[in-house]
Amino acid sequence: MFFIYLLSGLYLGWSLGANNTGNIFGAAVETKMIKFKNAALIAAIFVTLGAVLEGSGASDTLGELGSVDALGGAFTVSLAAALSITSMVRSGIPVSINQTIVGAIIGWSLFTNRLLDPQSVVTIASSWVFAFLLSAVIAFLLFHLVRPIINRSKVHLLRQDLFVRYLIVAVGAFGAYALGANNMASIVGVYIPVSPFKDISIAGIYTFKGTQQLYLLGAISVVIGIYTYSHKVMKTVGKDIFRLSPVTALIAIFAESLVLFFFASRGLHNLLLRLGLPTFPLVSVSSTHVIVGAIVGIGLAKGGRNIRYDILGKLALTWIIAPILAALMSFIMLFIMQNVFEQKVQQETHYVFDRVTVTRIADEICDISLLSPVNGREFTSEREIYGELKTQEELNRESIVKIIAISELFPLEVSLEKLQESGYIHSFNDEQLAVIKTLEGRNYRHKWELRDALEKHSVFESVKEPKTGLQKNHNKELDNLFSLLYHSFRPGTGKK
Amino acid sequence: MALLLKTTKFVESQIDSFLDVVSDAAMTFQMAIEDYINGRIEQFEERLSQIREFEHRADDLRISIERFLYERTLIPENRGDVLAILESTDEIIDNIKDTLVQFSIEMPGIDPMLNDLWLQTTRASVAAVEQLVYAVRSFFRDLAAVNNHIHKVYFFEREADHIGEKLRRQIFGLDIHLSKQCQLRDFALHIEQISDDAQNVCDQLAIFAIKRQL
Repeated sequence: MFFIYLLSGLYLGWSLGANNTGNIFGAAVETKMIKFKNAALIAAIFVTLGAVLEGSGASDTLGELGSVDALGGAFTVSLAAALSITSMVRSGIPVSINQTIVGAIIGWSLFTNRLLDPQSVVTIASSWVFAFLLSAVIAFLLFHLVRPIINRSKVHLLRQDLFVRYLIVAVGAFGAYALGANNMASIVGVYIPVSPFKDISIAGIYTFKGTQQLYLLGAISVVIGIYTYSHKVMKTVGKDIFRLSPVTALIAIFAESLVLFFFASRGLHNLLLRLGLPTFPLVSVSSTHVIVGAIVGIGLAKGGRNIRYDILGKLALTWIIAPILAALMSFIMLFIMQNVFEQKVQQETHYVFDRVTVTRIADEICDISLLSPVNGREFTSEREIYGELKTQEELNRESIVKIIAISELFPLEVSLEKLQESGYIHSFNDEQLAVIKTLEGRNYRHKWELRDALEKHSVFESVKEPKTGLQKNHNKELDNLFSLLYHSFRPGTGKK
Repeated sequence: MALLLKTTKFVESQIDSFLDVVSDAAMTFQMAIEDYINGRIEQFEERLSQIREFEHRADDLRISIERFLYERTLIPENRGDVLAILESTDEIIDNIKDTLVQFSIEMPGIDPMLNDLWLQTTRASVAAVEQLVYAVRSFFRDLAAVNNHIHKVYFFEREADHIGEKLRRQIFGLDIHLSKQCQLRDFALHIEQISDDAQNVCDQLAIFAIKRQL
């Protein structure tokens, strides 16, 4: 059953290979600086390396949108995202995996009656625009920086061409590595808890973890995507929007890699925080938007006369259509999955307003009298609670979301073995694991109960009223760790 | 990649050798005309055979460069432009050879009164070719200097035209048979044509240089 469910993840992987590799090597292949077969080989090697060595960490922002909590749901969401991409790829228009996944998750949230956070949708959508603009600005500036160097260079044309070729390969390889590292979790990450792969020890020197084997499988699907379909998208990126020269292709790839790095590097994020400088939000941005932004930046730097605005317009329209199409597909397919194939697309969630939760809400959020519409009742959907509580004028949306989180029944059983099986144990340091061990075997009904128990220890202590960026970052990192624990300790998770 | 670096260095040296051959051919042409005008016919024939060798060598080099550029997909963006320049430049050597061959076959009688004008026209044409060689070298190594050399090519081409016209006027002022006058005019035009060819290559080069700029 696992492998059947995994198919949609692998299909999504194929889409990633067909679509996103085009973003990295499209310009280089179209300027004939690198042959397609060589670009495909480099991309295949580095996507696989990135996936196997660093392919971890689910997207925080996607998590905020909604965490798909059942395998049937994950399968359907992946399938809807992949089908949406395929339909776009067939038309030769590059779209983003990120866009269709966001759309598909929104479809899932709507279908399962979860509350959709409009703020998160705005953050994600604005990051697409911001990344596009930033990439255009960086490419524009890089162009003006490189132009005098190239025009005054006394290096032989052939030697210059060779250097550009080396750099394109190096930057492209880095981009492919980052693609594997950053996107593989979105592709097969949802299958980790149910993966049947066991760790394999290679001559006692290296342990090939079960998670890595799963990522390798994902990487293989990406590689198949690269070889079977990426050529068409490369053409659109490298030729149709604006005709690039080898040097401008290098600038575009470099700008793209920089922007992806800015938005993806936690190390850079932490460094900027320590230096007291403004940071980039750590959101999963689309390499498609970024490369198109870079190409437009170069086109504008060259006077903007030869930019194909008709193709750009088509692209922009696709950026709106893709998430909507994915959301619609996801919604319809979830309906079919649940009602025709009778598969579970979400975990049954209950929300209780008993003595424990109401006391907690009264302590933390609002007066107990405001809870009168829900007090003593049990709910099965977030929207239902929201509908009841929004009649209370004193409660804003944020407070209601917090109330829902407190009331959610989420049975947890602390077990280091389960954490090990989930593959997330490496995210915790020894001190944190020692603290978790002290709670071994304990059961909790709500997420916040486990959090309370852990926060008594300094290694899990969050800053109550964070003011600085460093403090906010610390809390965010703790939130991520707690999410991993909730995911691992939920009964029914673990290897089957 | 190491192979690519090796190939790149090799093609660079071949392009340099090709341009050296063009330059050598132009200078040899000037010396051959001087020899002819001064009656050193044996030495003139030696120069002609030297130029024949230069022509073969230039052809071989050009074909080899073309083959490497296409087989190893070097400079894909500029490949067509570079080959066009090399082919047009190669034609100059062909014209130089053809001119000397015509001298060797027809052995036109040169009036000593016009020796200086013949030599000046030749020098201006050869100077145009030499400046063209500088311009082509700059196209490869120093883009900013290309226009400077192109400007000089245009200057020497105008100079060759100007002196050539003067030479032709004086040829037709000589008291010789019209057929001889026409024969000498053709030779003068042949020599002028060399600078015109250099100018034509420069016209292409100026556009390719703009294309090469970022």
